[in-house]
Amino acid sequence: MNLMMRIMPRRASVPIAFAAVTSLLLAGCSGGKDDAPAGGAKEFSVLVTTENTQTGAMFDGLKANQCSDAQQQLPYTLSQTPSSEMQSKVQLLGGQNALPVMYAGTQSLIAPKGDLQVSGQVLDLKETFQKLGVLDQVTPAAQSVIEQLYAGSFPTVPLQFNIEGIFYNKKIFADHNIAIPTTLDELTAAAAKLKSEGVTPFVASGKTGWTISRWLGAIIYSQLGPDALQKVKDKKAKLTDPQYVAAAQKLQELGKYFIDGITNLDYDTMNAQMLNGSAAMMYMGTWFLAAVNDPKQSKVGDNIGFFGVPGIKGYPANVGSPNAINAKLYNDGVGAWLTCIAKNWGSESLKKQGTFSGFKVNTPVDSLPALTADIQKKIDSAPASVLWFEGLFTPKANNDSSANAAPLLTGAMSAKDFMTLIQSDLDAES
Amino acid sequence: MTAINVETAPRPRTGAPRRQSGTLAGRLTGGLLVKLLIAVIIIAEIYPMFWILTNSFKTKSEIVDEPLWSLPGGLQWHNYVDAWTTGSLGHYALNSLIVTVPSLILILLLGAAAGFALEVMVWKGRNAVLFLIVGGMMVPLQMVLLPLFTIYFNVGISDSYLPLIITYVGHGLPLTVFMMATYFRAVPRELFEALAIEGGGPFRAFFSIGLPLIRNGLFTIGLLQFFSVWNDLLIALTFNVDSKLSTVQVGLLHFSDEYGSVDYGPLFAAISITVFGTLAVYLILNQQVMRGLTAGSVKG
Amino acid sequence: MKHVFGNKKAIATFLLPALLIYLGVMVVPAVWSLFLAFMHGNPVRGFEFTGMKNIDRLFSDPQAGHALWFTLKYAIVISVGQIVLGYALALLYVFVLRKASTFVRTLVFFPVVVPTVAVALLFNRMFASSPQEGPVNAILGLVGLGGTDWFADGNKAFIVIVIMDLWRTMGFFAVLLYAGLIEIPEEIMESARLDGAGTWRLVRHIVLPLSMPVLLATVIFSLNASLKVFDSIVALNNGGPGYQTTPLNLLMFKTAFSFGDFGYGSTLALVITLVCLTVTLFVFRSSRRDLTKD
Repeated sequence: MNLMMRIMPRRASVPIAFAAVTSLLLAGCSGGKDDAPAGGAKEFSVLVTTENTQTGAMFDGLKANQCSDAQQQLPYTLSQTPSSEMQSKVQLLGGQNALPVMYAGTQSLIAPKGDLQVSGQVLDLKETFQKLGVLDQVTPAAQSVIEQLYAGSFPTVPLQFNIEGIFYNKKIFADHNIAIPTTLDELTAAAAKLKSEGVTPFVASGKTGWTISRWLGAIIYSQLGPDALQKVKDKKAKLTDPQYVAAAQKLQELGKYFIDGITNLDYDTMNAQMLNGSAAMMYMGTWFLAAVNDPKQSKVGDNIGFFGVPGIKGYPANVGSPNAINAKLYNDGVGAWLTCIAKNWGSESLKKQGTFSGFKVNTPVDSLPALTADIQKKIDSAPASVLWFEGLFTPKANNDSSANAAPLLTGAMSAKDFMTLIQSDLDAES
Repeated sequence: MTAINVETAPRPRTGAPRRQSGTLAGRLTGGLLVKLLIAVIIIAEIYPMFWILTNSFKTKSEIVDEPLWSLPGGLQWHNYVDAWTTGSLGHYALNSLIVTVPSLILILLLGAAAGFALEVMVWKGRNAVLFLIVGGMMVPLQMVLLPLFTIYFNVGISDSYLPLIITYVGHGLPLTVFMMATYFRAVPRELFEALAIEGGGPFRAFFSIGLPLIRNGLFTIGLLQFFSVWNDLLIALTFNVDSKLSTVQVGLLHFSDEYGSVDYGPLFAAISITVFGTLAVYLILNQQVMRGLTAGSVKG
Repeated sequence: MKHVFGNKKAIATFLLPALLIYLGVMVVPAVWSLFLAFMHGNPVRGFEFTGMKNIDRLFSDPQAGHALWFTLKYAIVISVGQIVLGYALALLYVFVLRKASTFVRTLVFFPVVVPTVAVALLFNRMFASSPQEGPVNAILGLVGLGGTDWFADGNKAFIVIVIMDLWRTMGFFAVLLYAGLIEIPEEIMESARLDGAGTWRLVRHIVLPLSMPVLLATVIFSLNASLKVFDSIVALNNGGPGYQTTPLNLLMFKTAFSFGDFGYGSTLALVITLVCLTVTLFVFRSSRRDLTKD
């Protein structure tokens, strides 16, 4: 009986369903329904990627403790979709005005002029946080990254804040008498020395292409300055300009120092190379700390260090995947949740997950692992941060850059062809 | 096909007179080559099975760091515990069953009936309808997702198992109808006509002659459709609005993290449970059906 | 007697339930989608009519051209492989293994049960070149050919895809064809044996013609499935390097869902449907002609 109830939908039975399908078809294409509940959200529904286990765990902790009041007003519920399907899910739900309260949108959809923004499904969080009196809880660094990324607007809750740079193996550096490089040339020389002495200088994953293309962004910033990619976005420069192509060629020259067989190497194998001490360096974001601090995964103890890409002031930074708030469902209950998140997320996330967020750490966390504490210091003292290579790209440019990063690195694709492809994607979709 | 038949039959003119074995291939190529071939096939199939099973007992670094053929250093039973709890495997398996069983019954019943109507029944335009249905095999599934999602959502059934069941049936029918029509074509027409002379109607023809005679094909198609529904990911992902209704294949995705890292040990444990579970069911069913089939072929 | 099998009410009862569900789930949405081929937009923004713009773009899109070429290449190689291997296995079950075939049949069928993710992972490891050399490269090294990075080059990656997909699906096709073979009446085979037909002549002149309907249905199924290949390639190498092993279906999915361009995605879907239609019509026609002959 119970089973039958589950099979049967709550609102319709089979014959009705068929009749309704038919009438729908007769009526032709149907637009979305425009009946958002009058009082806004009935529950604090959150949609994140299946791969994102952190957010769910954090909410479970908060709803029982710090945010129990908000939980009483608006009970929290979680649904998940794999990241590869998130884009389609958000579009399908958005098309029916059926998005949950907090959802993992995609950058292009929630940015100004983005489709969800235009259809009024994205809440302006700067205004909301201000109204709730908690805007000061957002770290300036996170706010600056968001405003760079979203052309001055603030559509995402910064549940994460990561800086990116080069993780390196201290022991390998010491054994081979290498100092932390301060210029790209020194970095290249260090790689050459390691390679000649039988160590894999760099590891990256061709299957997770951004682990390679982020290098390209880093080289561009290091050689052409912090506004180099914003210029491309603003159409003041093109990726096909000689100095940009030269940066891609520079990456190609570094190609021989990367691990062999990189094209289909996956993300875990890449990380393992760093964590078992076989590779000397890896470009990565600070979320990698979770693995470094996990003795089950890391076999090199506290031998992992971190330095910024030589030649860049500050660090490429990001706020994780977007978490937009559905403007159509906003009410006091949602406000209570946002207030609680702003006040507690920062310290909780550092304490429970050992990761950084875009919110201030209000309760100091003791006994952080050395590297985590070191990076925390770097974040706090860093000058303005820059975005990463694909930060301002359209989805297609993003995909093409990731997919072709390995061929670029191995020389299967020329630097010019690579840049031409990405530039044509950017031209086509603006 | 029995050995007795071969032995009592006059010796084939081209065959070697001394050879006792009745197998044709044995006569032609010498059994060794065939045996070698079968051995290769068996290894190519068993090794991966073994690999999946051993991986389910390894730690993540054993899977990632060590060569493919290495054996686990210890038995990580907790992989199975993790698979059962993190993956909520039991819950998802139940969901999968709730979706798969009705889908399968509908696909087979409706598909066989339609195949019967298109092949055994005589009417104008049946070839055109058959081709229209075969056309369904040409439509890329990815393309019907958006309209279907819109329809299901507006009809108000998107928070139930129905979108999955309806979609699986609609998507499975073209191949089923097509194959059923093909199987019915092989049934001698006289059998149906004899029944009609006795005064039997089309429904009796379908249930008491048609279905029993194609039960072999019915079983085959049932098998294929079972696995295509059971292993589907795309439809399940698109139409599942509520994660409580997720199927096993969706559940398997819970073992990777946001930046692409995969929790391999529990993943392989979960895969082992589902794979060997379904294989066991398949073997039991297969035995049953095969018994039925051999019993049938004695009569025929 | 004709009226028994021409009974309109019976035909409707047999056919209509399947036909209605099929129309509702496949045909109507497909036609709906094909209209989108002449529009631009996505479900959030809505759609606007753009006429032939997507079609024009199609003809000047090198990625689509390459994907079409790759899809055809893949479908031909895979279909031939599936049918030949599947038929060979089915013959093996029927003539050599006979009653003992259940075990081998189940084994060869087993990859169908395994989730694509696991199969892809296995083949990734089999053909890996680093950090641990996979068995394939190890064997190549032993015979002096030297290992290679199988995934850095589209043609080599194609070989891996073909081997993986044939391994994964041949058991499925063997079972499909086996069901056709065991339907052949024993008396026919027996009398052929009495006539002293050799194995190959028996297969060619008796078995092959008698299993023709099932064989042709299988060919059509195989072609249509392989022209729409999707998940195995996504899981193995996501169509890489670059777009070199990206089939139309994957390009379509990415265009519509990842890049949010449902209009052009629908145009690509239209291409897939047309290719499938052409191929099927071709096979269907030759099959119908053959059948009327005997």
